[in-house]
Amino acid sequence: MVDSQEMVKKVFTTNSARINTNKGDAYYNSLFEKAKSRLAALRKQPALKDIDLMEVVESEGVNRRDFMKWASATTATLMLPPMFTPLVAQATELMNRVPVVWIELQDCAGNSEAILRSATPTVDDLLFDVLSLEYHHTLQAASGHQAEHQLEDAIHTFKGKYLLFVEGAIPKAMNGQYGTIGPGGETFEDNLKRLSKDAAAVVAVGTCATFGGIPAAAPNPTGAVGVMDIVKGKPIINIPACPANPANMVGVVLHYVLTGQIPELDSLLRPKFAFGYRIHDNCERRAHFDAGEYVEEWGDDGAKNNWCLYKMGCKGPMTFNNCSIIRYNEGANWPIGVGRGCIGCSEPDFWDKYAYERPMADANIKAPTGGVEKTVDEFGLGLLTATSIGIGVHAVASAVAGKRTVHSEDEE
Amino acid sequence: MKTVDIVERIEGEAKLVCQWNKEKISDVKIQFLNFRGFEFILKDKPALDALVYTPRICGICGQAHLKATVEALENIYKNHNEELILTKKAKLLREIGLNIEIIDSHIKWFYMFIMPDIVKFSQNNLAEYTPLKGKKWLEASMIASETIKSLALIGGQWPHTSYMIPGGVMSDPTLLDLISMQNYMDQAIIFFENSLVGIKLDNYLDFKKSEDLYKVKGDLKDFITISFENEFEKIGKSYNRHLVLGDSLSFEKGKINRKLTKNISYENIEELTLNSFDIDKSKISKEAYTWSKTALYSNNFYETGPLSRAIVQNRDFVNDIHRKYKDSMFTRILARMDELGFLLFKTKELIKQIDINEDSFIKPKVSLSDFKYGFGQSAVEACRGSLYHDIEIENGIISKYDVITPTVWNLGPGIEDKLSTSQKAIIGTDSLAKAKLILRSFDVCSVCTTH
Repeated sequence: MVDSQEMVKKVFTTNSARINTNKGDAYYNSLFEKAKSRLAALRKQPALKDIDLMEVVESEGVNRRDFMKWASATTATLMLPPMFTPLVAQATELMNRVPVVWIELQDCAGNSEAILRSATPTVDDLLFDVLSLEYHHTLQAASGHQAEHQLEDAIHTFKGKYLLFVEGAIPKAMNGQYGTIGPGGETFEDNLKRLSKDAAAVVAVGTCATFGGIPAAAPNPTGAVGVMDIVKGKPIINIPACPANPANMVGVVLHYVLTGQIPELDSLLRPKFAFGYRIHDNCERRAHFDAGEYVEEWGDDGAKNNWCLYKMGCKGPMTFNNCSIIRYNEGANWPIGVGRGCIGCSEPDFWDKYAYERPMADANIKAPTGGVEKTVDEFGLGLLTATSIGIGVHAVASAVAGKRTVHSEDEE
Repeated sequence: MKTVDIVERIEGEAKLVCQWNKEKISDVKIQFLNFRGFEFILKDKPALDALVYTPRICGICGQAHLKATVEALENIYKNHNEELILTKKAKLLREIGLNIEIIDSHIKWFYMFIMPDIVKFSQNNLAEYTPLKGKKWLEASMIASETIKSLALIGGQWPHTSYMIPGGVMSDPTLLDLISMQNYMDQAIIFFENSLVGIKLDNYLDFKKSEDLYKVKGDLKDFITISFENEFEKIGKSYNRHLVLGDSLSFEKGKINRKLTKNISYENIEELTLNSFDIDKSKISKEAYTWSKTALYSNNFYETGPLSRAIVQNRDFVNDIHRKYKDSMFTRILARMDELGFLLFKTKELIKQIDINEDSFIKPKVSLSDFKYGFGQSAVEACRGSLYHDIEIENGIISKYDVITPTVWNLGPGIEDKLSTSQKAIIGTDSLAKAKLILRSFDVCSVCTTH
């Protein structure tokens, strides 16, 4: 378990990782001092839950050294230099100072399911034992009116301090009557506005909460939108993907505990530490892309030999996410690992734009020179360098997405 | 008197509106007030896109939706007399995936959704079951996470995988993957033996009589004890009519309405909207109070789920308990946990049967878009019961997609003078807490219901 964390660390710190967020020593030194005093201040605050993380960790058979390895890998995931490792470890222990309220709107409960499977030390230790989950629709003890009171208590007691996690889209059509909540039948929109009012920040989890997701797919029968279309005047962090990767949810909370601020975001409000990569850049099948070796149809020899899935409609080259590194289910696997291709689930409107088993040429997005798979064959192996194709695809994907931050390296 | 209460911890939310007469519930309405519109979204999409859309109907039973979609699409080929070959390996990988999802769901359902409410009826302090921090809750959450990894190995991730496609599956597990899957199953079996029933799985599976209930130790014993102390074997009884639409290596289809019939025809399935909201405002009746529709088989309400599966399949232990305690809340919950043991054993056997040298996928000779018109249906057994998909396509584009989920069978609204299965089970109960437990005993999924 710990070794896979080491692997994660290695991938994130290796020179070949394409994103470079290095902001220079001066920046990190000042952030380091800031984090130190932030953690010292937090430590003085009373814990919301009386739990000693190290006791929990050790009771699970993980020793201090393994825990520090985990902290070091997590530091790398957050794209912070190694000197932050001890602070990340401390921040983990102080996660019980930050109250979290989690609500479900127009959703499938998939992100809640995913967070039940967060990375080692197991989610139980991190999120449930340490994190002060003041309210969670599906997982909490209370139900009925008792649950309602608990929610009201939480937002009153932790006014201005809690992180509001939102799972699911918000239906706007028919005056919001496609989704109501609670005994009084409050609309999802009103509920979200009310609960976000006194939150320190709002974290939209999953593609439904971030970009409207599947309910917003054409013809969007319920007029579904994402959190950022409703909540104004609050910091919002988007963690798209379907489901969102729990590692990134933990990352956002840790960053907040560590620095008291939200992580650096791109123009779609996604944390750069998680969405600064195209999955293509770290894909285990990338070498086959570069070598011009493609799966031409499911079950062929290419499929059996784990060749590139691009021609089968894989959206890896235009999808920004760290799932090629973090993977899912505690690193057990990810879609490309079973030969299925990426569906681009962390991109806005991907349901309508990207669809399934539809190579780029057939999608609404046009790749350079009218379809990359055509280009791939026409170019021949000689021209197929990683950069020429990679940069081309990225440039187009960025232009279509319109608002996306284009990283300096890709502009070269 | 009228009470309105909210039921959480069910994946989404339900509203329970009860009418009381002489301190007993005389009428009940179960409302699901969240709607996304999948059937409208699927329309006009390419047929294969459904393989990515429908698993997102539910974060808990996405595998079941995926399998239902792929089999409905394959049924289109069959209805055109177009041969489609599916290897045994592909069939196994699909069913194993689905079974693991059910195993995972049953573990979580018992510890996260049932026990926290059940222990409130106990005289003893059972804080170990407290959500989010109780030892047993955490242990169950951990073992569920471990178990589901064996599905991730063939599905890519969970929830929301899409590794099935007409003609087979995309994944091609190695021997190492299969051994890892076995290992994850073994861990779940150890949990079942050590924590849930306190005896060896083999010994448990030998149980034949309801008296064997007294041999159960572990956490299930807590449930059994509390149930008998509070007479849970006497409440929650409904029509005692049972339906299993799906047919697989693990389950047999059939129905019980007084006697057992194995003959099931999709033509007898009917979906009604008399008490349901409609996206078309002109079609909303005055009586509408929920987004759930009503599902009937041969014009009758049927229960679906693990209890129905066990008695249609004649599994001795549950059969005998059912003979004694009928379709009570106690029987319903116990049947679900019994199915956990059954599936752990069965799924391990199925994994052993995989021949890695076989093909995972054989390409169909024609494409779905070659059919000017096509229709297909399928039914699979999901964790909560029978899931039915019905699709029509024109030139490869979906023209109609209809989904009936298990919760619709069990908890959809009654119509006219007929109460639905769950309404009938709740009416006559003397407390709201018990009514909510009866509701939970069906393993409610709000998000699936309204899709």
